[in-house]
Amino acid sequence: MKKQFLKVLGVVLLVGTMNACREKEPEPEYYELGVMVLNAGNFFDNNGSVSFFKREKTTAETDVFSDKNGRSFSGGVQGYAETGEHSLILVDNDKAGLDKVEIVNLGKWTSEASLGAPDIENPRAVIGISPTKAYVSCYGATGVFPNYFANPGYVAVIDLSTLKVIKKIPAQKGAAKMVKFGNDVYLGNDSGAAELLVIDTATDAVKRTLKIGAGPEPISPDANGKLWVKTGFSVVRLNPQTDQVEATLKVGTDPRKSPSSFAVTPDGRGFYYIYSFYDTVSGVNKGETHYFSIDDTSIPGNKPIINRAFTGLGVDPLQGLIYGGVTPSYKQAGYVARYRPNGEKLDSIKVGIAPSGFFFK
Amino acid sequence: MLLYTARRAGSPYHILYHILLALAISFSAFAQQDSVALEPVVVVGFAPERFMAGLKIQRVDSAALRQFRFQNIGDLLAFNTPLAFKNYGPGRLSTVSFRGTSAQHTAVLWNGLNINQPNLGQTDFSTLPVAGFDRLSVQYGSSASAVGTDAVGGSLLLESGGAQPEGVRLLLGRRQASFGNQQTQAGANYGAKFNDALHFSGKTLYYDGQMNNNYPHTERRGYYVEPSTAEQRGFVQDLVLTGKKSRQLSAHLWLTDNGSTLTPENPDARQLTRTQSRRAMIQYQTPTWTWRTAFTRDLIDFGAGDYSQLEHTATDRFLTRLEKEIAWSLSGGAKVNLRVGGEVAHYRTRVDGYAEPFITENRADFFALSRWQFGPRWLVSASVRQAFVTRFDPPLTPSLGAEYRLINRDKYLLTAKGSVSRSYRVPTLNERYWKTLGNPAIRPESGFNKELGVEAKWLPTDNQQITTSLTAYHNRVDDWTYWNPDRNYRVENLQLVVARGVEMQAQWRATFPVWQTGATLGYALNRSSQERVYNAYAVAIVGQQLVYVPVQQGTLSAYAQRGIFRFTAQMRAQTRSFTTFDNSNHLPGYALVNLLAEATGQRGRWQANLQAQASNIFDALYLNVGRNAMPGRSFSLNLLLTYNSESR
Repeated sequence: MKKQFLKVLGVVLLVGTMNACREKEPEPEYYELGVMVLNAGNFFDNNGSVSFFKREKTTAETDVFSDKNGRSFSGGVQGYAETGEHSLILVDNDKAGLDKVEIVNLGKWTSEASLGAPDIENPRAVIGISPTKAYVSCYGATGVFPNYFANPGYVAVIDLSTLKVIKKIPAQKGAAKMVKFGNDVYLGNDSGAAELLVIDTATDAVKRTLKIGAGPEPISPDANGKLWVKTGFSVVRLNPQTDQVEATLKVGTDPRKSPSSFAVTPDGRGFYYIYSFYDTVSGVNKGETHYFSIDDTSIPGNKPIINRAFTGLGVDPLQGLIYGGVTPSYKQAGYVARYRPNGEKLDSIKVGIAPSGFFFK
Repeated sequence: MLLYTARRAGSPYHILYHILLALAISFSAFAQQDSVALEPVVVVGFAPERFMAGLKIQRVDSAALRQFRFQNIGDLLAFNTPLAFKNYGPGRLSTVSFRGTSAQHTAVLWNGLNINQPNLGQTDFSTLPVAGFDRLSVQYGSSASAVGTDAVGGSLLLESGGAQPEGVRLLLGRRQASFGNQQTQAGANYGAKFNDALHFSGKTLYYDGQMNNNYPHTERRGYYVEPSTAEQRGFVQDLVLTGKKSRQLSAHLWLTDNGSTLTPENPDARQLTRTQSRRAMIQYQTPTWTWRTAFTRDLIDFGAGDYSQLEHTATDRFLTRLEKEIAWSLSGGAKVNLRVGGEVAHYRTRVDGYAEPFITENRADFFALSRWQFGPRWLVSASVRQAFVTRFDPPLTPSLGAEYRLINRDKYLLTAKGSVSRSYRVPTLNERYWKTLGNPAIRPESGFNKELGVEAKWLPTDNQQITTSLTAYHNRVDDWTYWNPDRNYRVENLQLVVARGVEMQAQWRATFPVWQTGATLGYALNRSSQERVYNAYAVAIVGQQLVYVPVQQGTLSAYAQRGIFRFTAQMRAQTRSFTTFDNSNHLPGYALVNLLAEATGQRGRWQANLQAQASNIFDALYLNVGRNAMPGRSFSLNLLLTYNSESR
């Protein structure tokens, strides 16, 4: 009896030891197919995050960075891009000089580098240029109203092989949204300056300056190879070949509302956008989600697709579903509401605080 | 341990180590007495604690006051009580949560005067240095009938006054700390007897501190440390004239001036917050009457960039109060004290953000407090207060408390306590008058606090003493005022908050032939939650822990004293504190440990107290409210020199 016991014990120990010694299988790359949700967080709490879910799921991993790295972002999430083997997240702290670009491994989300001031100050948009290069547009150090844009903006060029900022391309004040089209990057601004800059990604230098209108925000190229740009309450259709503005369309007629969060449809033949205003009586942002086609000759803004405004809007290129970010308040978790292209609601998924952008993969 | 750490830590601490060692050696040569003399305590003014039967009151001992003399009251309370703090960074805003309530639910009294900043209805604990007062009691639970507005979670009772019966005691203090931080204190306590009937005493103190926060690192484990600086200056003056039959005239003045600058190196984005308070009070007391009149001016300036446009907040208060106490001895040995009184106050406020540029209001309070002592075992207090406020109707707040001595032996005392009370809070001026977001029609909050506790004191041997207390409480506050984030932070009476919990405290002290030693352990469990569904998304909030209120907290401090040396270890630990109402996001929990070594030497009329402090010795990472890192391990050397004309 005792012998048998020892035998069993021996086998158990042996198997246990073998198991312990066995080389661990490489960790599966978790963050492959799915949706990354950029949660801006509460500005003064610096608690932005990135959530992830697979399309077929209705629950999300709320804070991927914190789960994988044992620390959280200390700021709001302003932008996200993937290129090569890396993901880049823009983190904006409410205190000056404490902003970061967090660079993580694309699939595993383990931290690779954190880039901060003075290279990165008030980062607003990020875009992958090549597997080893990314652009981050920055306001630079900001001041106080009315001189908020106290310094010129710039585009930080990040070398992803050394994980360092290797160049700052001077830009207009309030440098913000970027769209890559061919070998060029179109850079807009939040300061109200009229110029849209065209940056040559081969030389990392500004090669043309286009006057579009106050605070141009490049949206996306369409199916016809035209670039759409928002300026003020209008959108313009730009021909990138000739730099000519082919059309200027005023969005909507409601004097209280303004358009925002344009998202191109998967076929490149139309855009969804939010048309909303801040209601001072209720203290709530009110409005709807609309659609226009690139062939439309006017955008009346009176037939909403979804009778609701969101803090972020996206369209999944794979399934064509509309994703809206729902923010009950900046002091509790937000939701992603999913809709069919006709505006029929499908479901909602709890994510981080103030979902404001989506990255579909 | 500390000396060892200091020696290893590098050159600046190497020098500190040598200074410390040299002073320690020279002190020991002068040591004549084994114990450090405790300063005599003169009780000035009316102690509201007398009418708080059934409530837990913790008196912070003089050793703790001395050890934290170069720090702020928030630092002292964090290591000695289960109060939780919402901390914005070193030298920056620090607000309290007492028993799971908000920062506006703790009354802070200075010589009986509520000194919560009237626009915010709260105290910034970084603006009150421990040196500014002489005695501190922490009173747990609602005591609105005795204290008035804000006393919902508890009250902090600060008292100041001269402690030098005769002659003069001069004081010079200097703190030199890591990160280029420093503080200087200079003052005097004095007293004189004019004849058999008239006695005069007083205190004058000036303090001046500078926090440069020159951290050797910009980041701690992936979290930035906020660049900031802070200045702190203040002046304290107390004058007490005591005549025949305990008649007493006293005057008190406390001026504070605090400035803190965020990102000082960035001329475009730096942010300045300057908080100044001027508090003056005159009080006249006879054995039965107390009259007090006071003036306070609170100023806040906030600006950014070139500071050319500072947002200005200014509030003046004129306040006067009259109280009369009557005592009876009933048949059967019962003693009854009744204290009735009234207070009127006039407020004048000018705030850039208010709907009107200049607002005045009047407030009045009437109260009757009674204390019933039935023999050696029963103590009961029953009190009631009614407040009146311009454009606002506070509720009537009664309270009833009782204590019963269960065991009353020479070496063992066991007391049971209980209290039920209503509480109220006059809304802050911001809550009522702020443009758009304020709410002139805000209703009073309605609080109902119940608590039960036991206190035991045990002398197991002649040289040892153990005191313990255990308290359970339930505090329900309806119409809880809330800057509603769903509506861009507009003030509404939306919530129902229930705070319930248990507090335990145990203290052991022992005196051996050579050593004196002791330890204090505190633990608090607090579940404080919002219980009302007021919109579709509030479902996610109901039942969740309130933000910035850790569920569990513990403190432990232990000391050992031998001759002129005293060694103290302080620890504070708290579980995570949530930052969102649905508890989806939190700041991690942490534990901090400080070590202190003190040496006190006397030569003639001179006394020197040298203190070496190592704070956060394990370099624990913890985050401020803005999710940026608080500083890591730091050191300081504090020297307090006193000259006492009455010493031998």
